[in-house]
Amino acid sequence: MTTVFRTFLIGQFRDAHTWFWTIVLPIALLVGLGFWLDRPGYAERLLAGVIAMNVLFGPGMVTPFQVMTLRNRGVFKLLRAASLPTSAFITAVACARTALSLAVGACLLATGGLLFGVRLTLPGLALILLATLAGSVCFTAVGFISGNLGRNESSTSMISNLICMPMLLTSEAFWSLEQAPQWINVISRLHPFSHFVNLLSDGVRGSWQTSTWTSLGALAAFTLLCLSLAAATFRWDDERVRFRILANH
Amino acid sequence: MPNPATPRALIRAASLVKRYGRRNVVDRISLVVNAGEVLAVIGPNGAGKSTTLDLILRLRDPDEGTVEYAEPDLRRRIGVQLQTTPIFPGYTALENMRLAAAFQRLRLKDDELMRRLADCGLADAAKTDAARLSGGQQKRLAIAMALVHDPKLLFLDEPTAALDPRARREVRELIGSLAKGGTSVVFTSHEMEEVHRLADRIVFISEGRIAAEGAPAALLEQHGAADLEQLYLRLTAG
Repeated sequence: MTTVFRTFLIGQFRDAHTWFWTIVLPIALLVGLGFWLDRPGYAERLLAGVIAMNVLFGPGMVTPFQVMTLRNRGVFKLLRAASLPTSAFITAVACARTALSLAVGACLLATGGLLFGVRLTLPGLALILLATLAGSVCFTAVGFISGNLGRNESSTSMISNLICMPMLLTSEAFWSLEQAPQWINVISRLHPFSHFVNLLSDGVRGSWQTSTWTSLGALAAFTLLCLSLAAATFRWDDERVRFRILANH
Repeated sequence: MPNPATPRALIRAASLVKRYGRRNVVDRISLVVNAGEVLAVIGPNGAGKSTTLDLILRLRDPDEGTVEYAEPDLRRRIGVQLQTTPIFPGYTALENMRLAAAFQRLRLKDDELMRRLADCGLADAAKTDAARLSGGQQKRLAIAMALVHDPKLLFLDEPTAALDPRARREVRELIGSLAKGGTSVVFTSHEMEEVHRLADRIVFISEGRIAAEGAPAALLEQHGAADLEQLYLRLTAG
C-alpha cells in the first residue's frame, strides 16, 4: 500500500490537470483576488474559500477522471485478480490526493499569512486540519460517484461539473449569501461544501462556535452518505456499457 | 496412484452461464485448464471468449455453473493480461512494474524489475511514460506486469492483437519459453497460425458454446480440415 501511495503522490506532480486545478489555480486565485479585493476582513474569507475550492477541485473534480481512466483501462478489474484488496488501493490513492490537498493548503495558509497578514491560532489550525481531512475524504467520495457514473471523458466532466459547480456557487466560499434568496440559503445547507467552507472560515478566524459543531456533524454525515453512494455505484469494469452494446445486437 | 499420463487439472469450470439481458453470452460452457499446458480459446468476435475467461478468473460471477481451483492459493498464482491494457498513464514503465508488484504485495528492487522489463524487451523503455509507448510495447509491458509474481498459470487475452510482425514474434517466443519453463498458459487469439504453433489444446467457442475442443492435429483430422483457418471458417459458417 505504501508503494501505491508513494507512486501516486509523486505521479500527481506530473499530471497537468492536478497542476492546474489543485496547485496553480488556488494560489493564483488567492494572490490575484487578495490584491484586487483588498477589503477589511475579506482576506480571511478568501483564504478559507480558496482552501475549500482546492479540495473541491482536487479530490472532487480530478478524482472522477482518475477513476474513469483506471476503470476503462481495466485496472480495477485486474485488481480483482490480485492480492492487494481494491479497498487498500483506493485508500492509498485517496491518501495521496489528501496529502497533496494538505500540502497545497499549507502553502495557501503561508501565502495568506505573508501577503495578507492573516494570523492563525493553534485551535484554528487544528480545526482547518480536521476540516481538510474530513473534506478530502468527503469530496474524494463525491469524485468517485462522478467517476462511477461517467462512461467517458465528456460524460464524466459533465457529471462532475453538475455536482460540484452548484455546490461552489451556493456556498459562502467567496461571497456572502445574506442577500441571496431564501431558497439558495436552504440549498446551501443541503450539501457538504457549505459546511466545509463554514468550518474552514471558523478555523481561519480561530473561533469554535456552536455552529462549528453543527457543521462538523453535518460534514461527517455527508461524508458517510457520499462514501455509501460511492460504494453503491462503484463499477469494476465497463460491463454496463458492454451489456448495452450486446443487448442492441 | 495418479496416472502420470493423466494431466492434472488446475481449474475446472462446469456449465457456466452468463447472461446480458435475455442473451446468454456464455451458454453452458464446461472446460478444464491442465497444469503445464498451453490452451488456446478461439472463436469469432463476440463469441464469449473474454467473458468465459473472466468467469474462470472469477472477475465476474456466473449466473449459473461453478469454477473450482485445484489449490486454495492458485488465485494468487495467476497472472492476467486483459484485452484492455491495464497500464497507468503518466507513470513510467518501471513505475507500472512497481505498482504491478505492489498489487501482488511484493516489494521487488528496481534492479529486479528492470531485469523483468528486459526479459520482455523493454529495458530501453523503463523510464518512458507508459502511455507514450507503442501499442506493441504497451502489450509487452502488460505481459511483464502479469508475470511480476512468477505465476503458475498465465491468462493472455489476445496478446498479439495489433502488434507488428516483429513484436508478435517476440510475444510468441515469450509464451513458448514460459510454457517450456512449466507455466500453464491460456490465451485467446484470432491468429490461427499462432494458435497452431503454440497451443497444446484448443477450445473453439461460437455463440457462447463450445463448438469443438481438442489438440490441433486431432481437431483437423476429426473435421477433415487442411488447417485451423479452414476449420475456423467451417465452424463459423451459417
